[in-house]
Amino acid sequence: MVKLGKYARSVSIIGVGCTPFMYTVDNPETDGLTEGELFGYAALQAMEDAGVNPQDVDYYFHGEASPLNGSNYLTPNVQIANWFGMKGKGSIHHSEACCTGYLAIEQAVNAVASGKYNCVLSGCVEFGDSLAIGNHPYKREKMTMDKFLVTTAWLYDRNYTRSLMAGQELIYDDAAEWYKRTRGITDQEMDDTLNWMCINNRRNASVNPLAIERRTYEQLAKEAGFENVMDYMRSPHNPKMGDFLRLGGVELKCDGAAAVVVCATELVDKYMGNKSHKPIEVLGVGSAACEATTPHFEVRATEEAVRQVYELTGLSGEDLDLFFANDFIITSHLVSAEIAGYLPYGEGWKYICEGRTAYDGDRPINTNGGRTSFGHAHAASGLADLYEAVKQMRGECGERQVKKLPKTTMLRGYGGAQNVAAYIIRTIEEG
Amino acid sequence: MSVKLEKVVQKFYDSLEEGKIMGRKCTKCGAMEFPPVYACNSCGCTDLEWTEISGKAKMHSIVMPAALSSKPEYKALGQYAYGEVELEEGSRLNAVVRGISRKKRKELLDKLPVSCHAAIYQRDGYKTVVFDLDEDQ
Repeated sequence: MVKLGKYARSVSIIGVGCTPFMYTVDNPETDGLTEGELFGYAALQAMEDAGVNPQDVDYYFHGEASPLNGSNYLTPNVQIANWFGMKGKGSIHHSEACCTGYLAIEQAVNAVASGKYNCVLSGCVEFGDSLAIGNHPYKREKMTMDKFLVTTAWLYDRNYTRSLMAGQELIYDDAAEWYKRTRGITDQEMDDTLNWMCINNRRNASVNPLAIERRTYEQLAKEAGFENVMDYMRSPHNPKMGDFLRLGGVELKCDGAAAVVVCATELVDKYMGNKSHKPIEVLGVGSAACEATTPHFEVRATEEAVRQVYELTGLSGEDLDLFFANDFIITSHLVSAEIAGYLPYGEGWKYICEGRTAYDGDRPINTNGGRTSFGHAHAASGLADLYEAVKQMRGECGERQVKKLPKTTMLRGYGGAQNVAAYIIRTIEEG
Repeated sequence: MSVKLEKVVQKFYDSLEEGKIMGRKCTKCGAMEFPPVYACNSCGCTDLEWTEISGKAKMHSIVMPAALSSKPEYKALGQYAYGEVELEEGSRLNAVVRGISRKKRKELLDKLPVSCHAAIYQRDGYKTVVFDLDEDQ
């Protein structure tokens, strides 16, 4: 059984950056944006937020889920460092598909905690909705669902999983089946819970200028002639796409980038200069991975990742003020929050149906809108969640600021059939 | 070093062509690796021996195929579901189980786990393993 060790030295988040999540080719103002421009924007914003100059940053990590497919790149990290003033610095590219942005923080923290570097940038970019066209310098074309599904098949083991046919298909509904069976709720209660997660995510996104879809389900229901939003959610406007999953519970794949700057906590004053925001310490990162022939892969890997980070930190779900889950299949949101103890066992679905997990509730989840409303620029989503978490913990979220200033947050990453990471960050109080 | 550079995947599929469903059993702890791999995931031992599985199994969960979770090719399976299947030898995996309609699922949910058995199924260019619900279920 894996037992995490303490970091050799404390590491803190000092800066974050994030682009809007976009369908770039659909809008003349964004059509033509490139990898260097998206990543560079997020990276420079994170450095400015941290109070550092690119020359202060020792190394950078680059995440992109599918650079070969989306960007026609084999070594994407090499191609863009000059866009944000880090030409000549060392870097490495990594991909864990939809979990990339969650493991991106682990890469950066380990590099600083080890003592090798003092200040590191970690960023991710994805064109999830478009493809580079040959060798054209900037033109892209829309990624059709057919093209998307060709490469998502590559997420699964070729030797056995694809052959056995079940693992790759269970991603849509396995967690819902598991939750319904183990908690003893009805089909109707499960359906309502899935719908309420969509509604809550969208309410959060409706007050987030970076989110890709800001029209509330209440607005959409009214426009379609429904007085009751739940009647709309149960209607053909929100069709069943899985055994349990409806259309509203599926990711909105799109384009975007996000970045974070971390440094040794002991050097915060040196790097942050006159910046007034408090650094946020990364307390630990639990991780697990199960290929998709593994029954209940998401549940099993989440239980293990959460166990690791709680054992390391001595914390529990009751210590968390805010929770993020990579919910490209929206059930993740419920299942992971309950496994983490952020919502009580067997009661999480009630919290969701009562709206208590929206930004203005007492147990907020995915205050940026999550993958079904903020959007899913695959690799970048994890760091976009971290961006939101940090902004919430600083009290900088304006209209969607949660009621109680969060001090301790867990982010649960998931993706790549299937990597899972669960990490905890905590604001460092002065003195 | 006991691990050998050998073609486990090809042997698994060649065995299916011969009508045998093979796993690899750990000589140290007895755990069955199915589908077969090099090392035991229960104890880490690399000394595994090829063993034909009995085919007897239990299905612990049922998920029905739908728009996102089916492919035109799967129509040849007839009525089927996905779920967690436990082999008699102890290994658990996600698998296809034939013989389950939506109506049948309702009957089975209160009886889980239900008995099923492994079958060799022809796909385009190779054979694979699916399971069939036992007739008495």
